Amino acid sequence: MNSINSARINRRDLLKLGLGASATLATVGMTATLSGCSSSQPGVGYSVLRDTDIPVVAAIMSGLVGPHPALSQDTLQAAIDQLDTTLAWTSTAVQTQVTDLLGMLSMPITRGPMTGIWGSWDKASIAEVQAFLKRWRDSRLDMLRQGHNALSQLLLMAWYATPASWAAAGYPGPPQI
Amino acid sequence: MPVPDLFLQGIDRGWQVLDASEFDSEQTFEADVIIIGTGAGGGTSAEILAQAGLKVLLVEEGTLKTSSDFKNDEAKAYAELYQEGAARATADGGIGILQGRTVGGTTTVNWTSSFRTPDQTLAHWADVHGVKNLDSGSMAPWFARMEERLGVAPWAVPANANNDVIRAGCESLGWHWQVIPRNVRGCWNLGYCGTGCPTNAKQSMLVTTIPAALEKGATLIHTARAEKLVFEGDLITGVQCRAMNDRLTLANGQGFTLRGRHVVLAGGAINSPALLMRSGAPDPHGRLGKRTFLHPVNFNVAQYDNDINGFYGAPQSIYSDEFQWSNGTTGPIGFKLEVPPMQPSITSALLGGHGQTNFERNQKLAQSNILIALMRDGFDERSQGGSVALRDDGNPVLDYPLDDYIWDGARRAWLAMGEIQFAAGAKAVMPVHSQGQMSRNWTDFKQQVEGLKYAIYDVRLASAHVMGGCAMGEDPTRAVTDSLGRHHQIENLSIFDGSLFPTSIGANPQLSIYGLVSRLASSLATRMQSPT
Repeated sequence: MNSINSARINRRDLLKLGLGASATLATVGMTATLSGCSSSQPGVGYSVLRDTDIPVVAAIMSGLVGPHPALSQDTLQAAIDQLDTTLAWTSTAVQTQVTDLLGMLSMPITRGPMTGIWGSWDKASIAEVQAFLKRWRDSRLDMLRQGHNALSQLLLMAWYATPASWAAAGYPGPPQI
Repeated sequence: MPVPDLFLQGIDRGWQVLDASEFDSEQTFEADVIIIGTGAGGGTSAEILAQAGLKVLLVEEGTLKTSSDFKNDEAKAYAELYQEGAARATADGGIGILQGRTVGGTTTVNWTSSFRTPDQTLAHWADVHGVKNLDSGSMAPWFARMEERLGVAPWAVPANANNDVIRAGCESLGWHWQVIPRNVRGCWNLGYCGTGCPTNAKQSMLVTTIPAALEKGATLIHTARAEKLVFEGDLITGVQCRAMNDRLTLANGQGFTLRGRHVVLAGGAINSPALLMRSGAPDPHGRLGKRTFLHPVNFNVAQYDNDINGFYGAPQSIYSDEFQWSNGTTGPIGFKLEVPPMQPSITSALLGGHGQTNFERNQKLAQSNILIALMRDGFDERSQGGSVALRDDGNPVLDYPLDDYIWDGARRAWLAMGEIQFAAGAKAVMPVHSQGQMSRNWTDFKQQVEGLKYAIYDVRLASAHVMGGCAMGEDPTRAVTDSLGRHHQIENLSIFDGSLFPTSIGANPQLSIYGLVSRLASSLATRMQSPT
């Protein structure tokens, strides 16, 4: 179901960007660091997501889900756990693509120029997160639109897989057999 | 009310069902026929070959999940029952791909629509692709046989409101619509076919042909990937397999070997060519993994005043072929119109928007309907489909370039779907495009669709039908197998799955696979029984 971002294409496009004249994006010309820089170990209690990914996912999921009455620390955590479970069952190729993308979003050197979020994710306002999502969705760069799709599909699917989300969507839940 | 678990009861009676993840030493298994894959092709083959008295051994990459595991739980099902945890996509991420990965393959999780291969498709294969003897007249008894076997009949219960949009809209427009035949017996009309049928009503391979083969003494080994075919000259002498890990992400467990007189490859249209590629199988004309088709699907959302509750009830029961053949067999791409089930997780990924906008759309889930258009790729010269390649780790990936031929189809399909939805009383209609907005009337919707940017990632596309890549045909320079599914270069290999199709089908493909494979497997059974 998800259009997952392709890491290989990402790095190539990033390289193109870096070689271009764009001053803000020149920093990401250091593509060699991208795959190796972020921690590769899943966080405690997670199968795929790393500790550095959690604030990114939490902020973006909150921005996507919006004013849902069931959104709280606990339900957000349940949806992040669901996302981690989903990722654990995908292929290693998909896992790499997603963690590369999250790595790029969490590292300050790439986060600022790529997202417009200049402070840390847990301090970003909903408005800032939504501005980043809109910027990626409306970008002329395939890579950013692809990243937007991957994030919004995976995160919304995880949120709306959790029972807490259903009442507000008018879904009574699955029948019990 | 507890539903008897037919499969677990069979195991208790002594069926030979082995979980490869429990193997702890190198072993060799022998049979007359090794069948790789347990979906529509592998399951159908297994029953026919076992009933012919042949010793059959099936190997399946997915795990064994049966009715007592199926809890109408979306997230669990997508993770455990689908290829790459339902996150499979084309190489550039332009098209999401839903394909089963469990005992029974995609038949365990499909939405039960069962159409015969259209006459136009069979005629096109004969005319353009050198396929012999598969005309609709001679195929009819094979379709009839499998319809009988799997309980295929037009859905007799009233359609749910999500499907009824097609009837109401098409009736008011004077367009074609028809009831969909489904492969069910005693269906409870729950709506959760896509997460595995909890009542064993869906006549998937999991509850029909595979149990029949096991009753006849077949062996099933699951949770194991066929990694490599071993060749001596033009013969396969063994199939090297390896157990999968507990989340099916890697085949890194115990290795073992299968040996048989004949090998039937039925891994589906991505995994079948991939196994041949990993094995270095002969491919002198470069046809392997080429012309892979997807029925690329785009989506249109509509909101109504009344409740639709599209998450409940038989997921697909009405279709329209108004635009399927209207331009002829070739020409601009034709499309079939259907609906998807609308459980919240899968639907939320389609509604678009962020924050307030996304939430408002999700709040209307119970009053929303989605139409889908399945584009019939592979018939026109401009539609060459995709090609399968191997990643560095040996896993397959499908490269499917998107172009103006598809975009033109997406645009026309949105217009057709919107017209139906407004005719059925929709208050607001939205194309599933990254910039899609709710239009309140037809004029505004038409302007919106004409003004959209048709580009990868903006137009949301998905596929649940992977076809081709090991095309059949009499000319070895153009096809991988002959019209009996026999590999052109390898003596004891048959390919019996959807990868045989020289084009897409123009309809949900399961019955096309059942009918074709029942015929090809019966022919193989006869050849293997007669002394040579």
